[in-house]
Amino acid sequence: MSDNPQHTPRARRGRAPDVFRPGGWVPMREYGEDETVDFAIVGTGAGGGTLACKLAEYGFSVVAFDAGPYFRPLEDFASDESEQTKLYWTDDRIVDGANPLQLGSNNSGKAVGGSTVHFAMVSLRFRPEWFKSRSLLGYGADWPLDWREMWNYYREVEQALKIAGPVNYPWGPPRPRYPYRAHPLNAAARVLAKGCEALGIGWTETPLATLSAPRGLAHPCVYRGFCVAGCSTNAKQSALVTWIPRALAAGAEIRDLAMVGRVEVDAAGRATGVHFHRDGTWHFQRARHVVVAGYAIETPRLLLNSTNGQFPDGLANSSGLVGENLMAQSNQAVWGLMDQEIRSYKGPPSLAITEHWNYEDKGKDFFGGYSYMSQGPLPQLWANTQMAARGLWGARLMSDMQNYNHVAGLKIVGEMLPQENNRVTLADEVDQFGLRIPRVTYSWCDNDKRLIAHALKFMTQALEEADARDIWTQEDDTCHLNGTARMGSDPARSVVNADCRSWDIPNLWICDGSVFPTVGGANPSLTIQAIACRTADRIRDLAGRGELDQPARRRYAAQTAQ
Amino acid sequence: MTEFDTDRGSLNAGLAIAGLLAGSVLLLAAGRAPANGHRNGRAAALPPRRSSRKRPTVVAARRLNRAAGVLAASVLADSSVEHYRGSFKNKAMYTPLIVSASTLATSLHGTADARPAAHWFRDATYLTAAVSGLIGTGFHIYNVGKKVGGFSWQNFFYGAPIGAPMAILLSGLLGFCSERVRESRKGTRPEIFQLPAGRTMAAVIGAGLLGTSGEAGLLHFRGAFHNPFMLLPVTLPPLGAALLGRAALAGPGQQHRATRWWMRVLAAMGFAGVGLHAYGVSRNMGGWRNWSQNILNGPPLPAPPSFAGLALAGLAALELMEDHPDA
Repeated sequence: MSDNPQHTPRARRGRAPDVFRPGGWVPMREYGEDETVDFAIVGTGAGGGTLACKLAEYGFSVVAFDAGPYFRPLEDFASDESEQTKLYWTDDRIVDGANPLQLGSNNSGKAVGGSTVHFAMVSLRFRPEWFKSRSLLGYGADWPLDWREMWNYYREVEQALKIAGPVNYPWGPPRPRYPYRAHPLNAAARVLAKGCEALGIGWTETPLATLSAPRGLAHPCVYRGFCVAGCSTNAKQSALVTWIPRALAAGAEIRDLAMVGRVEVDAAGRATGVHFHRDGTWHFQRARHVVVAGYAIETPRLLLNSTNGQFPDGLANSSGLVGENLMAQSNQAVWGLMDQEIRSYKGPPSLAITEHWNYEDKGKDFFGGYSYMSQGPLPQLWANTQMAARGLWGARLMSDMQNYNHVAGLKIVGEMLPQENNRVTLADEVDQFGLRIPRVTYSWCDNDKRLIAHALKFMTQALEEADARDIWTQEDDTCHLNGTARMGSDPARSVVNADCRSWDIPNLWICDGSVFPTVGGANPSLTIQAIACRTADRIRDLAGRGELDQPARRRYAAQTAQ
Repeated sequence: MTEFDTDRGSLNAGLAIAGLLAGSVLLLAAGRAPANGHRNGRAAALPPRRSSRKRPTVVAARRLNRAAGVLAASVLADSSVEHYRGSFKNKAMYTPLIVSASTLATSLHGTADARPAAHWFRDATYLTAAVSGLIGTGFHIYNVGKKVGGFSWQNFFYGAPIGAPMAILLSGLLGFCSERVRESRKGTRPEIFQLPAGRTMAAVIGAGLLGTSGEAGLLHFRGAFHNPFMLLPVTLPPLGAALLGRAALAGPGQQHRATRWWMRVLAAMGFAGVGLHAYGVSRNMGGWRNWSQNILNGPPLPAPPSFAGLALAGLAALELMEDHPDA
């Protein structure tokens, strides 16, 4: 039988790949399709993988589905950018709007472990005020979560991933010490540091989910630099090598190459399980609860594709907000040439960061914030950037590529505001499974543009201060997708409540970046995982009190009546 | 690692092995030396040049030579590996190799020499070692301070290790002390700069233990103390330093049995540390199969014996205090 994980499922017959041992297996509990499991989880990334682990450890029976392959990083990952595009979700999608998103690379993932398999490992906490950005900062929407509670869940995730971070973090309220120490800075990171020091703002080593010391069978990072093309050493603490092995050990089943196409809901308005495609045919898995964790495009797509007579506009969509308020994060950059060699590909790409403009509100002509980080583009990505952003081709491109080892860059992760017109809807075209494909509509608002302009101007100054020359700006790039199923306190203005539970269908949950009401200027993975940990705790507590079957809406009504 | 040098040739391996071999030779020599001068009069491994082989000051001096040699071997191997890793970017980076190799040779000479007189060449070498340790410390401080971020955790972790050159300074000091003890006239109190030799050395060695412990603490903190054994060099040596400090302050006629035992524990810890660091090397990508890279990336194999060198020196000082209660 083929051992190509992209064609043949690996997690079956009572075993799943042991990601730490070449050719090894770990035992895996399997559930029959007629067996009603406690939780069917759609997606195994930062949200679904984390939740599967925590729920299994709390004693629930869990089956987690992923449309992607079950990779063995030690064997399947090559030092080859083209080969590693196999980690991306490249199924058909339609993009439109004034600023159509480029999909299918850094903002997507199709593998057990989701996009954490190729994420840049940047593990930031949100600024506390962002959880109440409408009330405290005057924009966006408030989260129904308290930052102090989130602070505890951040800590849990940081411990679980052995985040390597600075001894003291310069911004925000005190946080506990990162479990592992920060990595050494590469030359690209020192360029960022030099610019910040010249401009008098703070900088620090980026808290990263890659090991700076051994952990079990995982080795410390060898600074191979292929992080965003998949870590072949297991130093990267992706869901694939952290939460998923724990989930398996706790009795969860992982179904790889299993595309969920529809959530089934009965006449009583309760989810009964999921239809999934595996081994060439459709199957149905019964479940007491369904969790959708497919990220900001696939989550609304699944909900919208699961219409029935009772829910003609899609599941969990009485607010009409499923698919709306899609938020990317702006990802513009400034690049320049340094006299000395930089070789920015050495080590993790973003070793240094400044969150100055996330925490400083003065001197801004826009709402929201941004961080910026040092960069380490691999050669193929760099050639693509030169082509797409500068229109270089032929001899000019060849000539500029000669400077690759001297390039340093600064790139933002910037907050974009939620807008209902930025949305995921369904196109009429269907994919290889016969499912309607998503149409992703995206346009920047004036605030987004002002933030980008501010960032580009500031970073240009910073590069100048760091003695870079031939500076140019990359003005059109985005990363990270969030929103589309926002959480909130009011069923009319949100899709799920603080527990990530649908207001409409009591046993339907959404647990990924879709639930973000705002995105902040920080990479979202740590927050997604923290929310998943919180959701698991809430599910355990609700079950313990016998309230797991009580509709969220009834509890909301009881609260508002008090 | 400061430069992300992953393109390792085979030379590095050769140099690392050479450093370790030098250490092994010294240890073998050191293993033989005490028998020669031991007051129990066991068979001599090297022929004594004078009949003064049982004079306690000479016995103590030779033990101190041996301790200085263990430290010098540790420095030779450690600086070979680490400065090779730094590509000898600055020519001055060869200095500790030359100085520690000379100190090692001098210590072997002193360990073998049973004459009750200082040797001008040994004195000169040891003083050179001490001075180069001081200058090296200055260089390392400069290296840390000039990096962006200045004196920050990042640069203390990954810049030149501040405490490392102190090891050759300590080696030089111990050697210098050994010469002063050796040349003490019979019937007089062994002295260093007119201070009682045993107690002065106990204090110096205690300070050395604290400093070395600080260095291990910094680097083990960098490793997040991910293995509980990493706590040993930050807990046992400070206790040893306290015991030595007490011995330095105590009046004559004390036995210091616990302190002596503690020094033996520290010596064992120092040598066992090589094994633990070898295990640490194995936990890097590719393990020992990828030794040419992981010896450079993993915990430094030659570092822990510096504790053994200091502990052996501590033992020598305590024995001298026993033989010369006023020392």
